[in-house]
Amino acid sequence: MSQINRISGGQIDRAAEFKFTFNGKEMRGHPGDTLASALLANAQRLVGRSFKYHRPRGIFTAGSEEPNALVELRSGAHQEPNTRATVTELYDGLQANSQNHRGSLDYDLMAVTDFMSPFLSAGFYYKTFMWPRAFWEKLYEPIIRKSAGLGRLSMQEDPDIYDKGYLHCDLLVIGAGPTGLMAALTAGRAGARVILADEDFTLGGRLNSETLEVGGMTGADWAKEALVELAAMDNVRLMARTTVYGAYDHGVYGALERCTDHLATSGGKPRQILWRVTSKRAVLAAGATERPIAFGNNDRPGVMLAGSVRSYANRYGVTPGQQVAVFTNNDDGWRTAADLVAKGVHVPAIIDVRDAAAVCDVPGARHIRNAGVVDTVGRKGLKSVTLTDGQVIPVDCLAVSGGWNPNVHLTCHQRGRPTWRDDISAFVPGHDLPPGMAVAGAANGAMTLAAALAEGQSAANAQIEALGYKPGKADLPRAEDEPRECVPYWHVRESTKRGWLDLQNDVTVKDVKQSHREGFRSVEHLKRYTTLGMATDQGKTANIPALAIMAECTGKTIPETGTTIFRPPYTPVPIGALGGRSRGRDFRPYRLTPSHNWAKENGATFVEVGNWLRAQWFARPGEKGWRDSVDREVLATRKSVGICDVTTLGKIDVQGKDAAAFLNRVYANGFAKLAVGRVRYGLMLREDGIAYDDGTTARMSENHFVMTTTTANAVLVFRRLEFARQCLWPDMDVHLISTTDGWAQFAVAGPNARNLLRKVVDEAHDLSNEAFPFMACGEVTVCNGTPARLFRISFSGELAYEVAVPARYGNAMMDVLMQAGQEFDATPYGTEALGVMRIEKGHAAGNELNGQTTAHNLGMGRMVSQTKECIGNVLSQRPEMVREDAVKLVGFRPVDRDRGLIAGSHFITKGDVANMDNDQGWMSSVAYSPSLEHSVGLGFIKNGDTRMGEIVRAVSPVHGTEMEVEIVSAHFIDPEGERLRA
Amino acid sequence: MPEYSLTPAAPLAGTDITIAQTRLLAPADLAVVSVALPLGAEKAAEKAIKTAFGVALPEVGKSSLAKDGARIVRLGSDSAFVIFTHPTPDAERVVAARLKGAAYTTDQTDVWVALDLSGQNARRALERICPIDLHPDAFALGDSARTMMEHLGTLIIRTGDDAYRLMSGSSSAGSFLHAIETSLSNIA
Repeated sequence: MSQINRISGGQIDRAAEFKFTFNGKEMRGHPGDTLASALLANAQRLVGRSFKYHRPRGIFTAGSEEPNALVELRSGAHQEPNTRATVTELYDGLQANSQNHRGSLDYDLMAVTDFMSPFLSAGFYYKTFMWPRAFWEKLYEPIIRKSAGLGRLSMQEDPDIYDKGYLHCDLLVIGAGPTGLMAALTAGRAGARVILADEDFTLGGRLNSETLEVGGMTGADWAKEALVELAAMDNVRLMARTTVYGAYDHGVYGALERCTDHLATSGGKPRQILWRVTSKRAVLAAGATERPIAFGNNDRPGVMLAGSVRSYANRYGVTPGQQVAVFTNNDDGWRTAADLVAKGVHVPAIIDVRDAAAVCDVPGARHIRNAGVVDTVGRKGLKSVTLTDGQVIPVDCLAVSGGWNPNVHLTCHQRGRPTWRDDISAFVPGHDLPPGMAVAGAANGAMTLAAALAEGQSAANAQIEALGYKPGKADLPRAEDEPRECVPYWHVRESTKRGWLDLQNDVTVKDVKQSHREGFRSVEHLKRYTTLGMATDQGKTANIPALAIMAECTGKTIPETGTTIFRPPYTPVPIGALGGRSRGRDFRPYRLTPSHNWAKENGATFVEVGNWLRAQWFARPGEKGWRDSVDREVLATRKSVGICDVTTLGKIDVQGKDAAAFLNRVYANGFAKLAVGRVRYGLMLREDGIAYDDGTTARMSENHFVMTTTTANAVLVFRRLEFARQCLWPDMDVHLISTTDGWAQFAVAGPNARNLLRKVVDEAHDLSNEAFPFMACGEVTVCNGTPARLFRISFSGELAYEVAVPARYGNAMMDVLMQAGQEFDATPYGTEALGVMRIEKGHAAGNELNGQTTAHNLGMGRMVSQTKECIGNVLSQRPEMVREDAVKLVGFRPVDRDRGLIAGSHFITKGDVANMDNDQGWMSSVAYSPSLEHSVGLGFIKNGDTRMGEIVRAVSPVHGTEMEVEIVSAHFIDPEGERLRA
Repeated sequence: MPEYSLTPAAPLAGTDITIAQTRLLAPADLAVVSVALPLGAEKAAEKAIKTAFGVALPEVGKSSLAKDGARIVRLGSDSAFVIFTHPTPDAERVVAARLKGAAYTTDQTDVWVALDLSGQNARRALERICPIDLHPDAFALGDSARTMMEHLGTLIIRTGDDAYRLMSGSSSAGSFLHAIETSLSNIA
């Protein structure tokens, strides 16, 4: 099929030709075409089926407001549903398929729903599928889901990549029509940093679609000159194919740039970029959207918006039909007729609802006054229209204009409400704009070209003057104030057939009236009940006419009836763009321990702990499962020596004359008198007295401490300490800096720990129990002079040390410790063995410090000093926090030693019913103890410390388990602590 | 005498990538020492810094270059970094000795990894990950800022017309390199 609807002119490159397919049929177009303009050029009027009734639909608009012409673009994994043909740039090899039909587009089996339409009106689903209730999930919903919906997903992973970015400017100009161009020129010439963004691939907005002159040349030529000037300015950034979709706090705007959507392939580069634009000021020059008039069967392919018909003729050199009538309530519709006739297209009639003189002379066109269209003929393409007086006019295209709505959407993104202007019968931006935003041109209700240019200039001048730039002098290009008279006229009352308001959701005038009859008086309810204004077009062409009809029903004015609120995004933003680069392994950053490479080479299985990857266990050949590895690691450590990378624990360097006093306030237990060269366990409370974090802090010198935190709370504790230092006690000389990543730290635990370290720590340092006892710390050197820190602390309960070296030596240090430890059968151990040993020793960890427990619960109540000022000690003494029968942390073992304890089980006294009233506490941590050869657990139970030896039931309704357990000391291993002091 | 010795391996050592005439290089042997000004003795500390490095402690968000090439970056009212080339693991002692106890010092060398980004695409690449306005008028030579890039805390310093030093946590070095490299290839 040739391009039989191609006419002269337009901004297309006729010298080059693109081939593309629609539903497999090959067609041709030119660079500069959209898919829609190329389809129209090829006289393809039927392009899709409607959402609910599967009515044949065509191209309705020429822009992003398109409700009808949605296609599935591309193929395979690249297939994208619901792509608007009107904003899809044509490229060579483009593949598009129509969507939402079963069978072919021409013979859609689902079109039967249209004949059932009397039963399918607003609220049909709500009324019909209520009973029997059981049918909903199994029968109704699957059927509805199958028949509803628009395009199909490829169901494959998106092969494209996406990116995000940050932009900054003095002035963001949203929209590059006459208003936006004038604003950008004004601000750019004054030296302000300007970003000019527009969703279109050719900037210029309506100037490219009109024949109006600016400065003595065509509007399109003036736009081109303006763009040349702007492009030459270093301080101006032009962003075509970029939709500013949302206005957020602090002058931040969201923008989606479509980088490669107009190309056959993205070539490995990001397909789209989601920009976060931080602007000092903004000018919204988003223009206006034409609205239709509702009348019988106004949804046929060939019924289009008049301004869009003009766009196709003037910008794309395409006429949507050979016989084009115009139906209008305003002056602007007449320009479509005039422009078409100037291009040689036959316009048989201009049907104006007004009883007024001709706006302009349109040769060959009958002016039919005071009339409307009541019906149309032509199921798959318009054949004729029937007027209120009964006359039938054969046409293949009807250009409809119901007036223009300013695009106020972004002015509402921070709950701003538009206000009504009777003179243009439209909503304009209200006074409560997002801070920093000004609105100009058609978006502000300035509907004529000269007014738009003037507003663009004055708005930009006001904005940049506020930023300290000198405004430019008024030198507006000459342009006319074209006739824009408009009367409010929303639907043809004489029409008895269905008149469509929302083409995308198949909402008719009748549906709006019916929902009103059924009691839905609020616009928000109307929207939800009828689905008006939902889905991809968000009712850009439908909302205001529907609102007007709602107002008619209620007898109120349109402003009294109100509007629904606009929220971001203005047009659809793909999920892929919102995700950006964050997918797969790069979903979030990962942190590696210094000995990661060693661990990887030695069979470690890794576990994610926050962002860290930690060795969980080191499997050896012949081991059948993780338990084998973990049991071996525990036994080997307790028998001789084990080594574990504990770098992930938070490390905070605390210095200052008041460092000791500061620590004394942030820890619940005393730190003021900690001796130099000693380490102390510390417990931090929240302000409300609940346990917050624990760790050890070492005093390296009089004014220098090294604090450790749990891995999970490293950042939180640091932030909290900074808050305390800067805000609570700014008079203290104390300074904090994180050194977590700076030191590779290894736990060396087991009876041979000292013997092993003696081979590594330089001889000058005496490691004897006398010289370096339990809880000692100091600066040492290892391996002939490498600086290191040594702490004699134990999480495992064994004789143990932690040795730290600068992180760059971490991998080598692990290797050296293992080499030196060969004679002791040293074993590396992971987080699982670490966990088993701390449970065996009765040490609390994250499961116990869960944000609900107090020092009293943890059996550390006496640690909380009441003789000093510290965070949390006052509120920790509230009666409820220190009650005698509070739960206490104790140990548990199964009466039947062969059974495994289950964490999360709740304790119930023998003989009681297992319910919340009889709940005695819960099991927080469990492990299989290879040392004791049975399961051991830690848990909280009422009065636990006084119930040693009692048997209770551990019940887990979640697992459906129950077993008898004995309350025992939490210290399963070496309760006297002889090993760690050895 | 222990028979063992330790060989250092910094996370990004040796990184040197050029994409579209823009270079991403991990500077070798970079040492970082934090300096904290004691409360009530800030003037003495500032004087000690001036004496030690021959340049004044810059304003917050600025950095200054000492004659010996050390860069002093003022991070906050009472904190600064001294960044210099120093291969052995005793950078903190060197700085502490020069300041003669007038300020608190902490070795930060192994806490950070650094990448020097320079060339025609440097600023455009950073636009994809850096929330800070890097326009030459907004971020002058020597300016520095702490910010987040791809969820990673990052210190950025403008070291030349089209050159930036980026520093982030050493444990997440792989993600950090990936973020910048991806930006470079995405815009190339």
